[in-house]
Amino acid sequence: MDIIFSIIREDTFWSILLFTHFLMAVALLAAVTLQAASVLTSARQAAGNFIDRFSPVPAASYAAVIVLLYLPQALLGAWMYLKYRLYVRIPMEQLRHWWTLGAFEFKEHIIAMGIGLLPAYWYLWRQPLSDEDAGLRRWLTIFLAVTVWYAFGAGHVANDFRGIGS
Amino acid sequence: MTRTVDVDERSPQFDSSRATDQPTSATHTRAKVRTFVFTFGIAFTLLYTVLERLNWPLFTYQPAVGKLYFWLHRPLGGEGPPMYWYGWIVNAAIAALAVGWIATNISGPWLRRATVFCCALAALWPTALAALRIYITDWATFDADFLNSVWVAAPPAFAGAAAITYYMPARLAERAWTSWLLIVPIGGLIVLGNSLLIYFVR
Repeated sequence: MDIIFSIIREDTFWSILLFTHFLMAVALLAAVTLQAASVLTSARQAAGNFIDRFSPVPAASYAAVIVLLYLPQALLGAWMYLKYRLYVRIPMEQLRHWWTLGAFEFKEHIIAMGIGLLPAYWYLWRQPLSDEDAGLRRWLTIFLAVTVWYAFGAGHVANDFRGIGS
Repeated sequence: MTRTVDVDERSPQFDSSRATDQPTSATHTRAKVRTFVFTFGIAFTLLYTVLERLNWPLFTYQPAVGKLYFWLHRPLGGEGPPMYWYGWIVNAAIAALAVGWIATNISGPWLRRATVFCCALAALWPTALAALRIYITDWATFDADFLNSVWVAAPPAFAGAAAITYYMPARLAERAWTSWLLIVPIGGLIVLGNSLLIYFVR
């Protein structure tokens, strides 16, 4: 770390990391949203809805991207969490921003749940897709999408409190 | 001549048995992977919730001083705030890996039953403890403080979980097994979210 900090300032380093975290979050958000929309659309098509002619995005192709983004994103977040604990959470408590603090605490839990379900998610999207697990695959995909959306929102609010551009 | 015919007759059989062995082996591996990842998912989310509620991290990190302590460490003066989240995750992951490995080595019906038992126990134990606490504060006419213990709540929780496991039809346990993969994390998030309500009602 000392070598890095001899090249760039420490706060610049953490800002770059936070921005990378944001960029990865946007990419992950796009992937999970498209996949979730795709599985929901497939379900509606199966039910014979009016959008029968709509060709959904091939949902399976997103699975590898999501796994490859989710885990490094969680690890990057876990690394930056060190700084959050010292330089963001303490002022948050002092300024009594309890909602932001509580929302961020819940983010920790929802991401932990997402990490735990990631191997099952990866398995469920392996080719050939099993018809037996179609329902589980759909709901697990939606669950992961919810975790990413929630984490993005809570992270954004915490960043607004003390982060890039705040 | 006879031997040649024998060999010729055997060859296609041999080939076909090899051909059928390969998919069987692949199916077997896939079934094991399925058992492992599903069990890992159920166990991790369940254990994470339990470990967080009990505050049992594998280690505690003190970011202000850069120190790592085994298990739960209450911060000393000047050490700054402690971080337990990493410890809960690593603890849950190690335990879930072990549970997943065990799951691949036991029979399917046993696994389904064990899953029902553990999930029922995880729900009943805190429920029994909460019921005891309500009884102590609202109903007891004597000094019932000795009942306010996780160990007093354990026997009814174990008995209830055993009864549910015993009476649940095997077919239902089998059909519901994959559903635990969604029920447990959602239930866990409800429990964990409920514990955070203090932040939202201040």
